[in-house]
Amino acid sequence: MGTFIRNWWRLLVAVGLLASAIQVFVRPSTALERAEPVRAAGVALFRPFYTAVDLLHGGFSGVWNRYVALVGVSRENERLRKEVAELREQIHETRDAVLENRRLKELLNYSRTVERRTLGARVVGHDVSPWFRAIYLGTGSEAGIETGMSVVTPYGALGRIHKVHPGLSEVLLVTDGRFAADVMVERSRVRAIAEGVGGNFCRLKYVSPAHDVGVGDRIVFSGFDGSMPKGVLLGTVVSVDRPKENLFQKVKVQCAVNFQDVEEAMVILSRPSVPFRAGKD
Amino acid sequence: MRHFLVLFALSYLGASLSVWGFSWFVPWFLLPDVPFLAIVFAGLFVPGIAGFLCAVPPALFREIATSAPSWSMFLGSMALYFASREVGRRFLLRAEPSLLTAVASLLAAESLSVVLLLSLYGARPFSFLWGAQEAVRIAWTSLIAVPLFLDLSVRWRRVKE
Repeated sequence: MGTFIRNWWRLLVAVGLLASAIQVFVRPSTALERAEPVRAAGVALFRPFYTAVDLLHGGFSGVWNRYVALVGVSRENERLRKEVAELREQIHETRDAVLENRRLKELLNYSRTVERRTLGARVVGHDVSPWFRAIYLGTGSEAGIETGMSVVTPYGALGRIHKVHPGLSEVLLVTDGRFAADVMVERSRVRAIAEGVGGNFCRLKYVSPAHDVGVGDRIVFSGFDGSMPKGVLLGTVVSVDRPKENLFQKVKVQCAVNFQDVEEAMVILSRPSVPFRAGKD
Repeated sequence: MRHFLVLFALSYLGASLSVWGFSWFVPWFLLPDVPFLAIVFAGLFVPGIAGFLCAVPPALFREIATSAPSWSMFLGSMALYFASREVGRRFLLRAEPSLLTAVASLLAAESLSVVLLLSLYGARPFSFLWGAQEAVRIAWTSLIAVPLFLDLSVRWRRVKE
């Protein structure tokens, strides 16, 4: 027995650690919350990097937009008189600022329609692991963000806050396999559970064949489960399959937001009415 | 100390560039998991307690940069370290094909275990397309690992001599 353990202790430790990882995955432990400062220190290590990248990203996109605009102006110069082109150049030079202003204004207008306190935040990164779908916001616990809060854009829902650190929040996207929320079809008011299936898609669960759901229907959050605000758009139905042998319809929804292109988002600063367990929505 | 600093810097830069930089315009399956490679390298080539210490920072970086439930990725990464140590002890990993096989097997084993766990959990975000992309990621990461590991191990052997 002693020889066996001496020979194979590494593998035994690996199996033990794997079992612990599975246990933590399935049933997040509150005891591990004591180790949060370690993770916060790790996040602090990354902060200069993602702040710098965010600044560079902003600067690069500004230069890029101005360059594109200048190419556009030079093409316009061929057709238009010189003085008009000069005016256009001035307009194009501020195009990036105007675009950003417009996006922020949309966020602000949208925040007025949401009857809750909200907070704008910049997207600073994406989860690149193959198994999970998440994005990172450059604002964290210091701004009052907590796990379980909803994250939206003027075009639709992004997801829910999954983990919060000082200066960084992680948003579990609606397309992540662990995301689920109560939704309804805007036109027929049919209720269902939306679940992430990766890519830019969700599926609707428990839609009876008798229910009226069609391609092109808009799907909005019902707000009944308290996890997402009522009326926020999830996406549009792209396919409905009614297999004869199944109890339910197979409904695929394309999300309204293109998650790869989101630059700013809005966190709804109200605690979800359903207690949130990190990793188990 | 040298091992620790090099693996720390590599995994920090790799994670930072992937998550905060390249993720804006490069698809996930073309981004190599550098902290994973640092952990496997520590397991295969850095003996004793030094290897364990070298594996801790990359495991922490994976924990931060992955949206798995708290600490599950860290524990999983440390399990990966011990598994790769066992592989390093049992098999001679001087030849390129054996190194490629070892890294690809560890990547595939990790991916399969997370997929299995998520499937048991009730989540099914995996399609045929996802499988193909994941295969590209595994192949790509393993191909990067071979020259990187051989180069680093040869350099360190020379420094030792």
